[in-house]
Amino acid sequence: MLTVITLAILGLLWGGVYLLMATGLNLIYGVMKVVNLAHGDFIVLGGLLAFSLFAEAGLNPLAAFPIAALILFGIGAGVQFGLLEPITAAGSEGELRSLLATFGLSYVVANASFLVWGSQFQSVPFLEGAVQAGPIAIPAGLLAASLAAFAATLLIHLWLTTTITGKSLHATAQSALGAASCGIDVRRVRLLAFALGSAMAGGAGALVITLIPFQTSTGGELTVHAFTLIALGGLGNYAGAWLAAELLGLTEVFAQFYLGSNAAAAVIYVVFIAVLVVRPQGLLGQAGRV
Amino acid sequence: MPKPAPRRARRSPIGLAVLGVLGLVIAAQSRTSPSRAAEGPIRIGLSITETGPYSPPAVFELQGYKLAVARINAAGGLLGRPVELVAYDDQGNPSTAVQLYQKLLTDDRVDLLVSPYQTDLTSAVAPIVNRAKKVMPSLAANTEAFSGRFPYLLQAMTQTARYMVPVIDLAAAKGYKTIALLVQDTQFPQQLAAGVRAEAARRGLRIVFDETFAPTMTDFSALVLKAGASHPDMIVGATYLADSEGIMRAAKSQKIAAKMFAFSIGPVEPEFQKGLGDTAEGVFGTTLYFPTLKTAGNAEFVQSFTAMFGRAPDYHAAVAYASLTVLAAAVSKVGSLDQTKIRDTLLATAAPTVAGDFRLDTTGIQTGYTSYALQWQHGKQELVWPADQQTAAPALPHPAW
Repeated sequence: MLTVITLAILGLLWGGVYLLMATGLNLIYGVMKVVNLAHGDFIVLGGLLAFSLFAEAGLNPLAAFPIAALILFGIGAGVQFGLLEPITAAGSEGELRSLLATFGLSYVVANASFLVWGSQFQSVPFLEGAVQAGPIAIPAGLLAASLAAFAATLLIHLWLTTTITGKSLHATAQSALGAASCGIDVRRVRLLAFALGSAMAGGAGALVITLIPFQTSTGGELTVHAFTLIALGGLGNYAGAWLAAELLGLTEVFAQFYLGSNAAAAVIYVVFIAVLVVRPQGLLGQAGRV
Repeated sequence: MPKPAPRRARRSPIGLAVLGVLGLVIAAQSRTSPSRAAEGPIRIGLSITETGPYSPPAVFELQGYKLAVARINAAGGLLGRPVELVAYDDQGNPSTAVQLYQKLLTDDRVDLLVSPYQTDLTSAVAPIVNRAKKVMPSLAANTEAFSGRFPYLLQAMTQTARYMVPVIDLAAAKGYKTIALLVQDTQFPQQLAAGVRAEAARRGLRIVFDETFAPTMTDFSALVLKAGASHPDMIVGATYLADSEGIMRAAKSQKIAAKMFAFSIGPVEPEFQKGLGDTAEGVFGTTLYFPTLKTAGNAEFVQSFTAMFGRAPDYHAAVAYASLTVLAAAVSKVGSLDQTKIRDTLLATAAPTVAGDFRLDTTGIQTGYTSYALQWQHGKQELVWPADQQTAAPALPHPAW
């Protein structure tokens, strides 16, 4: 029983970490219908920035978190302004071109990072101990990253539903044409969404590098993982992403323990496929929106 | 049904004449070339991963080769001729390496060959090198290329199965009895784990937990929890850097205790300590070389390497340096560039080198080189086992978290 409780806690916490890495991607998709294939590379870049801030200036990852987020905010804004906004094609053709543009961008980001940091795995020592809860040792770093993920998701949700800017983002997500006709500057909203999504990737990287060592080529795997998660939850749906993240975290940890580590990697995608067969729109996605 | 015979193109008299002239030119060239070559340098060819994600260790190897060449030349060259390195960048790509070795053999017509970095690339170039009957001391730890298929390839690196032998030896000396073995599911860690199982059985240690994991795995919490449930004396990982860090993070944050934590690849890299901080303290790793080793000429090697390249040599540099040095010594002994004689001499050689005693079995598997156990102590790597080479005594058991 104790083992099951421990596994459940670990699964929920890892779910939080996965959510942290996917929320930015979800935001960008929700507003722009663009899957940013450089998302994982942005996470790695944020992580490596935190690594350098720690190694060169002794800054801990919590202090590096806003710095990495701010830098990625700037990069994201630049990318949206210089690369994605100029793509004028509409509909599925525009989505395909944006997808290809971010695919190319992922190579540029990964290779630029390679020039700066080389190919070695890097990580930052931070909160490596445990929080003791009775007989159960809860990993402190995991706990911190998960709490950050829940806080970020909650804040995004509140911001989208209660502020004017957030509402205009939400409106643009529902219908760019409708939003524009209400006087919302859609270009500005898209710029904000992409920059904010990138900032969340950078911030996530700064925290996750304390749990998972990053290499400049890790980005691709992270993108796939984050995309799996938001597709499972229903693309662009925040509560769905949260649910999917917990489902993936729990599945992974329990499958690892009871079926073996090799099987666990497969089980996650079996769950993914099973859910999409029954609900192609994802756990909480609305049919026909995607 | 019999197939029609392929039609042969008839040769015209002019074509025959051209062929004849060409033949004469080639014959004339081949007559003059030996004397020209005798005056020129002995050229040693290789491809190496100078750029790309796998370049950092490979550049150490290239520098090891360069230092060996510099020292051979400083000592008067080889067979009375200066020595020259012909090195190309294969970018870590096996098919590029094959093209480059083809070029080295047919265009550059190098006199000797040394190996590229890594088992994969060595395996890729093995067939063409062997077909050309060129001796190649090879920096590859896996043994299949040396099991008789490619008689001109000789292993110039510790074989994979031996990596963890000193760790098991130390554990046996401390009276530890049980091992939980965590193995990355790829070729090198699998072979390495087979070595751990064999050595543990030989020394009377029991494997109480044995599980493989995918190379992409990042969440080790359940695996380590399960390993800990078997209450092993030691947690041993057949891993690379990222896995070893993941396992140590999970062990510390979930308070999974063992008397000893040891990994194949991971603790040997400085990034292990940079990434883990205090969690790295007390963890054991393996290495094939250490700058303080009391091997033949090592102090001098470390000094010249540091002077030439501005950094201390690692094991890649040491094995590369040793392999070219041993090859050159065999050439001197044979007194010519007769490849078969050089190979037979190397197979019969037992030469002390900076990387240990170079000794081969009859198929070319390295049986002389061994490995060493290191431990992170006070933020520094110390060589702790075998006892006669140690820079510090091993600190055991690992303290509780």
